Amino acid sequence: MAQSNTSQQMTDDRKLILIVEDEFVSREILKMTIEQNYDVLLAENGSQALKHIEESGDRLSLILLDLNLPDMHGVDILNMINEKEEVHRIPVIVLTADKEAEVECLDIGAADFIPKPYPDIKIIQARIRHTIELFEKRVIIGQTEFDELTGLYNKEFFYLYAERSDAHNSESLMDAIVIDINHFRMINERYGKDYSNEVLRRIGNRLGALTAEAGGLACRRDADHFMVYCPHLDDYEKVFGTLSEGISGEGNAESIVRLRMGVYPEADKSIEIERRFDRAKLAADSVKSNYATPIGTYDSELNEKNMYSEQLIVAFPEAIEKQQFQVYFQPKFDIRGDKPVLCSAEALVRWIHPEYGFISPGAFISTFETNGLINRLDNYVWRAAARQIREWSDRLGAEVPVGVSVNVSRVDLFDPDICETLLGIVEECGISQDKLLLEITESAYSEDSKHIIDTVHRLRSAGFRIEMDDFGTGYSSLNMLTSLPIDALKLDMQFVRTAFREGGDTGMIAIIIEIADLLGVPVIAEGVETEEQMIALKEMGCDIAQGYYFSKPVPAEEFERFLADR
Amino acid sequence: MITIEKLNEYGADTKDGLARCLGMEEFYLKLVNTMLGDENFDKLDAAVEAGEVKKAFEAAHALKGTLGNLAITPILDPVVEMTERFRNAEEMVDVSDVYPQYKDALERFRALAE
Repeated sequence: MAQSNTSQQMTDDRKLILIVEDEFVSREILKMTIEQNYDVLLAENGSQALKHIEESGDRLSLILLDLNLPDMHGVDILNMINEKEEVHRIPVIVLTADKEAEVECLDIGAADFIPKPYPDIKIIQARIRHTIELFEKRVIIGQTEFDELTGLYNKEFFYLYAERSDAHNSESLMDAIVIDINHFRMINERYGKDYSNEVLRRIGNRLGALTAEAGGLACRRDADHFMVYCPHLDDYEKVFGTLSEGISGEGNAESIVRLRMGVYPEADKSIEIERRFDRAKLAADSVKSNYATPIGTYDSELNEKNMYSEQLIVAFPEAIEKQQFQVYFQPKFDIRGDKPVLCSAEALVRWIHPEYGFISPGAFISTFETNGLINRLDNYVWRAAARQIREWSDRLGAEVPVGVSVNVSRVDLFDPDICETLLGIVEECGISQDKLLLEITESAYSEDSKHIIDTVHRLRSAGFRIEMDDFGTGYSSLNMLTSLPIDALKLDMQFVRTAFREGGDTGMIAIIIEIADLLGVPVIAEGVETEEQMIALKEMGCDIAQGYYFSKPVPAEEFERFLADR
Repeated sequence: MITIEKLNEYGADTKDGLARCLGMEEFYLKLVNTMLGDENFDKLDAAVEAGEVKKAFEAAHALKGTLGNLAITPILDPVVEMTERFRNAEEMVDVSDVYPQYKDALERFRALAE
């Protein structure tokens, strides 16, 4: 009486449903009900069902399962489906004549149930259609809608849902928020990926709970960048406190993980959703490493600054072409002897724009670092400095006795051709590598240490000398320092300034000088403004000094005076 | 031969049963005919006679599903009643009031085919 076969020729685009039912009448009615829209496999007992699942599991869109089978209980089949990796995506609708069994079925993992006697055909068809759609969506969604690590939305779906939310609530005031971790790469490197992931998950959980309570959406954009779109709040101190508290993990120092938050309040809905979060990101970056004020707000001031940055970016190509960038030189003096002796210079870029006038490097360097233009600008400065060295040699009739240091941005170090480029420049200008000193900021080393250290090693092997700039502001451990390829430590200007301010403490400088001794490299102090400072630094064991006490950065022609004096 | 008229006369809710079979009379009657030889009737009788309540429940439960789907109400009603009495019972329960009702309805159902 019973049979097990495919109901008709299976076609590729039709979905396949397995009916597991030992009662002929119930099986036939069900088959008749669905075979117009689906391909059907039939099983009259548990073992036939398992065989079909084994053979056609990858094609099955649904299983309709009677619980009372002659050879096994349907619950066992349900459990097997739930436990087996390859088939647990297949939804199961339980067929049951017991009212009490309905809830139980759902508890043990059935997607739905169809009672017996069967309800209206339309109800059966709707339940089948709905279940298949739901599970298909869940499979697709599971792979693409959520960030795997944190369970928050991913960027694409976040933007999509934020836009939908706007469409439904056009009047409501919403805030765009970006949350980042300060020095995340360094944390990653120092404490390991597991720890970093744990922190990211913790942030994800807290943001999830926060948006569940206050409304809104949260997502992990990438790495350590989170975004939240939520109803407007006047004050984010409390939210930030909740997010940050104990974020480093139990038993860890609070200071390991520090967050920063950027808020674009009452975001303008007439601009693209992505741009709204760009603004929040800008606000977050405006408080980067500013531990006292970890929340930045996008306001008119920041907006103006942003507009200004954009203007500078637009003006950049012409500035290069028309040589609006000029290279100035600030002398460095060896202060170890009785009298300071010129030993090198630092090349510093100045931008004199025909319309905007003198543009401070502070205004454009960080902007160009963000969008990669710094690479072109640095190349320009390197070449200009090298040409200048050549020119001085030619005009002064002898090889210039001092070297000129140029800044090498973190961004430059990711350029795989950097070594060849620099070698090309010195060759083109006919100077030796030791005349072009390279200043690399300490914080660059903490970004992607291995890669950067490898690059610096290559530069050093090629004959260049490396000065570690802004030393004391980064996070280099002593252990890491000893493995770094460096030829000099450059004390951050800020250290010198604060140390000699009223009530200042020179202890930090003393420590850095000790470190330099340990590494066997000279210490260069920047920002030296008075004779007292110079003498104090000299007494502490500082080797080289640079600053307004000696000279401000000057054009090449003026610098020749120092060369002549020497 | 069983017909819709005979079933109506017998007391089956053919409208309900036919609806589950997409209104296809031939298909419905084919299924009704297969019920004549459904082995669960014999299993139920044997289990009741032997006092095996678990087996009786299984057979009654299976019949409840199929008779319900075809809406053969005269047999369905006593079967539903017996199913509920057998459910979760450790020992055979008294069904002396409904069992004859079921036997009578079954006999009349089988007579429809003659």
